[in-house]
Amino acid sequence: MPERNIPQKTLEAWKQIAAYLERSERTVRRWEATEGLPVHRREHEKQDTVFAFRHEIEAWNRLRTKCPAEISADEAENLLPVKPTTNAYLVEHDAITHTMHRYIAAARAGDGDLMRPAFHPSATISGYCQGVEYTGSVEHVFKWITGNGPAPNITPRFARIEIIESIAIVHLEVERWSGKLAGANARASDVFTLLKWNGEWKITHKLFHWHDR
Amino acid sequence: MANDEYLTDYDQIVNTMQMYIDGSKQGRSELMRPAFHADASFFGYAGDQLAIGTPFLFDWIDKNGPADKIQPRMVSVDILKSIAVVRLDVGGWSGKLAGSDVYMSDLFTLLKTPSGWKIIQKAFHWHS
Repeated sequence: MPERNIPQKTLEAWKQIAAYLERSERTVRRWEATEGLPVHRREHEKQDTVFAFRHEIEAWNRLRTKCPAEISADEAENLLPVKPTTNAYLVEHDAITHTMHRYIAAARAGDGDLMRPAFHPSATISGYCQGVEYTGSVEHVFKWITGNGPAPNITPRFARIEIIESIAIVHLEVERWSGKLAGANARASDVFTLLKWNGEWKITHKLFHWHDR
Repeated sequence: MANDEYLTDYDQIVNTMQMYIDGSKQGRSELMRPAFHADASFFGYAGDQLAIGTPFLFDWIDKNGPADKIQPRMVSVDILKSIAVVRLDVGGWSGKLAGSDVYMSDLFTLLKTPSGWKIIQKAFHWHS
């Protein structure tokens, strides 16, 4: 079982999430599908077993209820789409950020299994950690994430999302990594290559650079 | 940040990419192999077929033969200490497998190893 936050910090099942947001279960399920409500699933359990971190729901709600002018540039970069778009390019952009948010949520939760669906089965990773090169199957990332445990303070920034029809590149800056393996306050620059595979955007490669403190 | 270190890295990356371009132009994979990391990966759709793995790429380059009219352009070069991203757009592809006047967009990620900047990953899009 992956590491969990202490009980008060999680909302278990749609019922609790809906009660917290003072809406119907139907509404919050719709919000997950169309407005990026950050809920998590444990992949080995039934599809409909969800939980949410209270702080993530709060952050999502805060951004959602602000007027556009009040949102700072930093917040806007991390803003999940409020309304679905019909613009063809933005549809792909949103699908890619959705995949990336799955990666981010799994990193926050310290759960490698949650991260797996964001990746193509043949995905690989490469990069340096303290002068040692790590290149190989993406399974190493999932093990590392689970071994590291929760990193609730990570602050991701999308520095670049470039889409060329069936392929894309995402440069993600991630600050305030923490955990058993990451240490106290580490920063990484990650470059992800994605492929539109059977209609879904999957990460095929992750290239990372851990910055010296 | 464009400083002296950036320019040195940039020039080395251009040299690595030139090996790839030369191999493509001449239809000889042995010219481009040194540009690639031993464990490099490769992904992209060639028509409906999903091509995975550098053996596919090298085999394709050799089978395609010379493509001397290619028009390569380094669209972007982003360097982040030990990692880099290069977008290379190539118009005018031709050859036994490419056909004629084909346009491809390639996304390369590179890793700065002790033996120089190496391509660790190539993703391509074959424009219709």
